[in-house]
Amino acid sequence: MIGHVDADCFYVSAERVRFPHLRGMPVGVLGNHGACIIAKSYEMKAAGVKTGTPIWEAVPLCPQGVYLKRDFTWYEVLSRKMLAIVQAASPRVEFYSIDEQFYLARDWTLDTARRLQSEILQRVGVPVSIGIAPTKTLAKLISDTSKPFGCGIVLDQHDRQELLAGRPITDVSGIAKRNAARLAEHGITTCDQFAAADRAFIRWLLTKTGEDLWWELNGISVLPIQMKRPEHKFISRGGSIGAASRDPARVRAFVVRNIERLVEALTHYKVCCDHLILSLLFTDAPERTLRSSLLGSQGDFDALLEAALHLLPLAWQPPTAFVHYMHVIAANLRPVARRQRSLFEQPKLEDIKHAVNSEMGRFALRSGATMPLVDVYGDAANAYDICDIYGKSCF
Amino acid sequence: MCKGISILRAKIKQELYEQHELARRVTLRGEQEELHFMYTDPVVELPVIHHGQLVIYEWGNRGNKESRLPRTGWCRHESLKAGKWRWLEPELVEIPADFGLEKGVWFQIVEGIEGVVVCDEHEHPHVYMITKPASHYFATMTKHDRMPALINQEI
Ligand SMILES: [Mg+2]
Repeated sequence: MIGHVDADCFYVSAERVRFPHLRGMPVGVLGNHGACIIAKSYEMKAAGVKTGTPIWEAVPLCPQGVYLKRDFTWYEVLSRKMLAIVQAASPRVEFYSIDEQFYLARDWTLDTARRLQSEILQRVGVPVSIGIAPTKTLAKLISDTSKPFGCGIVLDQHDRQELLAGRPITDVSGIAKRNAARLAEHGITTCDQFAAADRAFIRWLLTKTGEDLWWELNGISVLPIQMKRPEHKFISRGGSIGAASRDPARVRAFVVRNIERLVEALTHYKVCCDHLILSLLFTDAPERTLRSSLLGSQGDFDALLEAALHLLPLAWQPPTAFVHYMHVIAANLRPVARRQRSLFEQPKLEDIKHAVNSEMGRFALRSGATMPLVDVYGDAANAYDICDIYGKSCF
Repeated sequence: MCKGISILRAKIKQELYEQHELARRVTLRGEQEELHFMYTDPVVELPVIHHGQLVIYEWGNRGNKESRLPRTGWCRHESLKAGKWRWLEPELVEIPADFGLEKGVWFQIVEGIEGVVVCDEHEHPHVYMITKPASHYFATMTKHDRMPALINQEI
């Protein structure tokens, strides 16, 4: 059997660990730019505030709410503590996301789940919900429905049917909006309808990913607990650039910042890439994504920046559009040890930068082209983001 | 900026609580009672740590035209540095708080806000809240270009 541990409103709960007076209050945690709610307490949720709601819409809904600045460094501390407790309780544990773990449940009574739950609450201070089921997908579904601070078990056919009956298929993580729309065209909107559908049909409609979920919802485990993070197919860095902008210096500075972050991640995973992709999202034009082939496999700043800056004017069309989100993506990854060397390779400044920053703090030494982003670098909290928490198997 | 603050009721001694009739300031939105101090309140005051003691002082000068004190509740850090307050012999103090309010947005305060205490012509102490240009984050949150000078905290 597989267990799934999932913290209840994790960022808020993490804040309540160090600020206990926040308990019982409507609390919202704001994202990187201070604009959007990235986590809310159940009290704030009850007022109608959703994840992703901008603060100016949340405040009229929940005027008594308290709005906090996020602190991923602190959340990671608690996340690792949680992980260690689950690891002590089970020989196989997957670090799925910052506040979720899958584990091999050798003993699947409600009692053991409750014991693990209260141990995490006592030692970490964070309330979690736990689901135990024959598959990862069912375990996650049952822990979700047991929230907050609940435990649920899917033992037999009857439990499984009860869990799936009438539940929207979008509750299953892995069924995104687009796939849900495809299923809906064929009259499949609930989990029980999905599980009862023809397997070959699901495979045809949603490929192997869909078929895996079909097996999993039918109680046959096909998705294993991954103790090591699966190898990346690609690595991406980016996100919102704050207020949308068409200032070339500012947008360019964000490209530089994101390439620096990407190079850090490539260095961490000891990989390089053959392709670089730049994706721009605009407020007033359709999204554009372009790919560039690199000269040999690359993982250093200069080569990737050159490629990204080559793509920038091509992707930024029309040039008057306001850029809102940006991603730089390293694709066709290969281990540094096995990379194709270019004939024109030069020694790297990168190593010096890496050495200085690991001593002096992240971004202490950075490209001068990031100068227009005084607001971003002026705030120490921007040095650390959720994607900087390494080792998770999910985002 | 910061138009009001909230402090946990548990931090205020009973004696002070009764002396200043703080019962009217009590609110409850979580597990612990809070006291709210707003610049728009009928009685304008703030908790202050002065000479190591938690006391309650009048907040700035909201409406007394006769007084020599500046008619505001805030003191710009830039003005203080430029010496514009020197003639009042300002004393730096801490305004303890757990939350602050600006443009309807409640934000968290970890320790407190920097303030100055100055005396009026009757030797009554008044406290002014020190403000700084808002950080990018604070400005996005509250849509205000000034923020309180927070102690050991960045927003
Ligand atoms: Mg969670």
